[in-house]
Amino acid sequence: MKNLWKVVLLSVVVIILGLFALGLGNDPRNIPSPLVGRPASPFTAPALDEGPPITLESFRGRWVLVNFWGSWCGSCVREHAYLMELARMTAGRDDFIMIGVDFKDTREGARQFLANLGDPGYRQVFDPEQKVAIDWGVYGAPETYLVDPAGIIRHKHVGPLYPGWFEQVALPLMGKKP
Amino acid sequence: MNIKKIYLTLMVMCFIGVWSVPGIAVDQIEDPTEDSVRNIAKALRCAVCQNQSVYESNSDLAKDMLAVIRTKVAAGEKEAAIRDYFFQRYGDYVYLEPTVRGGNWLLWAGPFIALLIGAIALLSALKKWRQPESQPSESLPSDKNAFQDRLKNELEKVDV
Repeated sequence: MKNLWKVVLLSVVVIILGLFALGLGNDPRNIPSPLVGRPASPFTAPALDEGPPITLESFRGRWVLVNFWGSWCGSCVREHAYLMELARMTAGRDDFIMIGVDFKDTREGARQFLANLGDPGYRQVFDPEQKVAIDWGVYGAPETYLVDPAGIIRHKHVGPLYPGWFEQVALPLMGKKP
Repeated sequence: MNIKKIYLTLMVMCFIGVWSVPGIAVDQIEDPTEDSVRNIAKALRCAVCQNQSVYESNSDLAKDMLAVIRTKVAAGEKEAAIRDYFFQRYGDYVYLEPTVRGGNWLLWAGPFIALLIGAIALLSALKKWRQPESQPSESLPSDKNAFQDRLKNELEKVDV
């Protein structure tokens, strides 16, 4: 009986320490999104270039990469080169389109950002009060969603996209549901 | 000026300060919908903070979330619906108090289970502590017998 309690006590301590160790390894920014597998929130929002408003539903029938960024965000600077490359790489595809959502930003700041680092050429939503961002469950920048042709969110990536992401993550998903 | 005078002046200044504070707070008339906004925002975790509610946080995201709540309350949406709006987008994380569903019941039941285990452990320990007391009283008669046997033996050896 005495030994049984020792074993119980020891295993409880080990379990708690184990959970604690697992928790330490977690990235507090990487919170699982409940949105994957669910329809993306529709929006019609002003464009950064002050052109006609951008409507998500107008891209139905194609895979849409929605990249949330802001000129205030350091990681977005690092990510930008890959976005430029990805836009160039996928320019010929008729099943895939990219859009950006510049949130919590000023038009001036965003234009400066694109002038300095290059304009990838796709359309940019301007969302200064982060209405679209909150509607999409965005925590910070950069965050990227992959929306399928039916308007269902298939993947969410927190943090900057990295070279090879499209081939490793997006293409396999696109192959499953063409 | 002596120390006493300085001390007195400081005391008076403190009292004036204490009395003037409520005056400032009372002057503001609150929007009647603000109560509902506060109820919702206090139960939601600011998405970029580890442990602060949307109502208390000063982060930009929290302020914008608060603005979204205000618009929705003003539009007449139900509190539960607004809470659910954030839950749909940010998941379990957005509630400061975890919901009782899925694996979350363990969070709520855990302390009580631990208390039960502790109570059982304490009971069994108490039982064990009480046992040694009863043992000597049981062995007393046998000791007495041994003593009497020895006495008899000794007495038999002695010629009177």
